[in-house]
Amino acid sequence: MKFNLTSNHLRVLLYTVFLTAAGASALAANYIILNFGNISTTQAFKAFPFLVSPKWEAYANDFIPFVHAIPGMVWPILVFIPLIFLIHFFAIGPKNFSEDGERILFYGAFTRFFHWINAILFSLIVITGLMIVFSKALGGGGLIQNARLIHLSCAYAFIVTVIPLFLVWLKDMIPMPHDVKWFLILGGYLSKKATTVPAGKFNAGQKIWFWLATVGGAVMFYTGFYLSDITSRPQSELFSLLKIHIILGLFILALFITHLYMSLFAVKGSLKSMISGFKGKEEVKCLHSKMKI
Amino acid sequence: MARMRFLCDIERCIDCNGCVVACKEGNGVPVGINRRRVVTINEGRPGERSLSISCMHCSNAPCIAVCPVKAIYQREDGIVLVNKDICIGCGYCFIACPFGAPQFPKGDTFGKRGVMDKCTFCAGGPAPTFSEKERRLYGQNRIAEGKVPLCAAMCSTKALLAGDGDKISQIFQERVARRGTGAKAPGWSVAY
Ligand code: SF4
Ligand code: SF4
Repeated sequence: MKFNLTSNHLRVLLYTVFLTAAGASALAANYIILNFGNISTTQAFKAFPFLVSPKWEAYANDFIPFVHAIPGMVWPILVFIPLIFLIHFFAIGPKNFSEDGERILFYGAFTRFFHWINAILFSLIVITGLMIVFSKALGGGGLIQNARLIHLSCAYAFIVTVIPLFLVWLKDMIPMPHDVKWFLILGGYLSKKATTVPAGKFNAGQKIWFWLATVGGAVMFYTGFYLSDITSRPQSELFSLLKIHIILGLFILALFITHLYMSLFAVKGSLKSMISGFKGKEEVKCLHSKMKI
Repeated sequence: MARMRFLCDIERCIDCNGCVVACKEGNGVPVGINRRRVVTINEGRPGERSLSISCMHCSNAPCIAVCPVKAIYQREDGIVLVNKDICIGCGYCFIACPFGAPQFPKGDTFGKRGVMDKCTFCAGGPAPTFSEKERRLYGQNRIAEGKVPLCAAMCSTKALLAGDGDKISQIFQERVARRGTGAKAPGWSVAY
């Protein structure tokens, strides 16, 4: 049979092509629309929290009790450590050394200058930090706002002015084997006699204070810096930073009080030596026996 | 008493940010502080959805629980407000809040945070109602005027609903039934 391509055939062919194309595009459109809607509402709801505060469920339950526990962690240090020192002062008493005789230059002018700058800044940071911790008792508001401002400004200053002191003292602050012995007799502070204690230019207690104030201070600065700029990190990380800031702060506070007691009360003339720079030879021989003079 | 709530219908929200602008303008909120913001998932991809979010005025609010000076309190109608005279700007509420709602202005000195600012449900603050102080510190008090919050009032698609929790959940449920999709609104299981 001979096949004649009539106009009828052509029409059928065109219709077929047209209908196939239309069907295909309808299917494609349907696919696109379905895929744009293929996220269920519930699925979408679950995706939002990650944008808002990631891992909230994981940390929030611990965060609230932690914040409320902070004052309870700090006040025992403020009460019991001074109490121990008070007992020490009356039961054993301060160390007395003769101020006559040869005097040794212990702290140069540069050292003393930076020591006192840092002492002022550090004290302000500690005092304002305590004010923030006990903000409830102080009534909150503008007073604590200003305390926070001082806390922050002094921290920025301290992190710079601590560097010269760190470098000057670094070589005398390296831990030594005799530091263990110093600890075993607690620096001789438990005896009334002027025993010779094993220590170089600085004893083991001073070394701990040095490392806590400098390297510890840097960690406090780092954590505090991000806590002060709270949108810079996810909230769960801020909580970890706060934990470090508070726990390390407790140790620094304890050593700060110890340093105050030692320099103001426990060793007579200690404060004067940081003003004049000189210590009596007898004291150096006794408390810093391993120092080369 | 009616319990005030927000609800954002993400099948309607078109990410126009009108609520954000209305809130900022109407309450005189400084630059850098967003009491309300719109977050988007799958942006430009299939399944794109947007959610307008602010303080949800939670029952049992974590921010109230954590605040060390008890500067945050909840009104009888559920609205959570901050007393800026007591707040110390510690930022703990920001860490505790599941919605990142508390905001802090940056000060000039070392960028120190100021006191916390957040959505007030357009209910002003603890200062005397309609006083100059209330307006300056907290913004408008539209609730006392008998109006809904600015954001919800201006929402062009009425995705954002605000008001009596029973009423708005009823509206939402009717919508859901008509659409045949969806379940609970975002944030409700956490906030209420
Ligand atoms: S959304 Fe955040 S700021 Fe608002 S009440 Fe809940 S926890 Fe507090
Ligand atoms: S920033 Fe203010 S409102 Fe928030 S927890 Fe601290 S004191 Fe309370």
